[in-house]
Amino acid sequence: MNTQTHLAERNPGAVARHGNAQAQKGPTIVPAVDIYEDAHGITLWADLPGVSRDRLNVHVQDGSLFIEGEASIDTPDGLRLHHAEIREPRFARAFSLSADFDTSKIDANLNDGVLKLSIPRREEARPRRIEVSVG
Amino acid sequence: MSDLLFNTSLLDEVDRFQRQMSSLFTGLPSSIRASRLSTFPQINLGSTDDSVEIVAFAPGIDPAKLELTVDKGLLTISGERARVESQSEGRCYAQERFLGTFRRAIELPRDADPDNVKARYVNGCLTISIGKRETSRPRTIAIQ
Repeated sequence: MNTQTHLAERNPGAVARHGNAQAQKGPTIVPAVDIYEDAHGITLWADLPGVSRDRLNVHVQDGSLFIEGEASIDTPDGLRLHHAEIREPRFARAFSLSADFDTSKIDANLNDGVLKLSIPRREEARPRRIEVSVG
Repeated sequence: MSDLLFNTSLLDEVDRFQRQMSSLFTGLPSSIRASRLSTFPQINLGSTDDSVEIVAFAPGIDPAKLELTVDKGLLTISGERARVESQSEGRCYAQERFLGTFRRAIELPRDADPDNVKARYVNGCLTISIGKRETSRPRTIAIQ
């Protein structure tokens, strides 16, 4: 049993694994993002309407950043849906992070359905000016 | 190596691409006021026996800048989503989120009561509840 899961993990068929995970959880929406980089690091904004703090899951694993969230909207009982532009209120998106970023210092802030992630560069990866001495 | 490549969830990207293509080619509106799926904000509409419920998925908007009007049975949601200050500097890798002014109109059913509208903005979702007129509620008629 143990060896079996090990083998499956080592299998590079990530697409198949992803497909399985999707089949279990159902379809998800890819949230729209803005990504900007400056000297301090990367800032990412993601639209996650209806997602509250406790239903949002941001984690870093094996150099990838995962954003997952589920929207919950208060609706009265007996609601019949007539028109839906968002059918599955589940958001998921993943990004690969380079080693330049300090994943232990990621700052996440959720406000009015917008997630703001600040991913700082490692101290040694920050751009710096090198003084040129005339010799 | 392939694991590294596919970890960026290739299927999601394919899905996004397909949605973009379909919105370009098959986004023919079904009604004169209907618009394509990629519009902002996206809207879900439903009803109960006593009310019409509308949810607009409009994250990151100052509620003071949201305007909601009902005129002759037409509900209009308009507003503006401003650029975040710090976005103007630095290199940009992705700019997918909606920016600027928006306006969406929804034709209300005839039994909706424009004097009985409640709206709330929670977690980036604007929930609008419009009561139905008394006379239009379902009722059973006693047989004598």
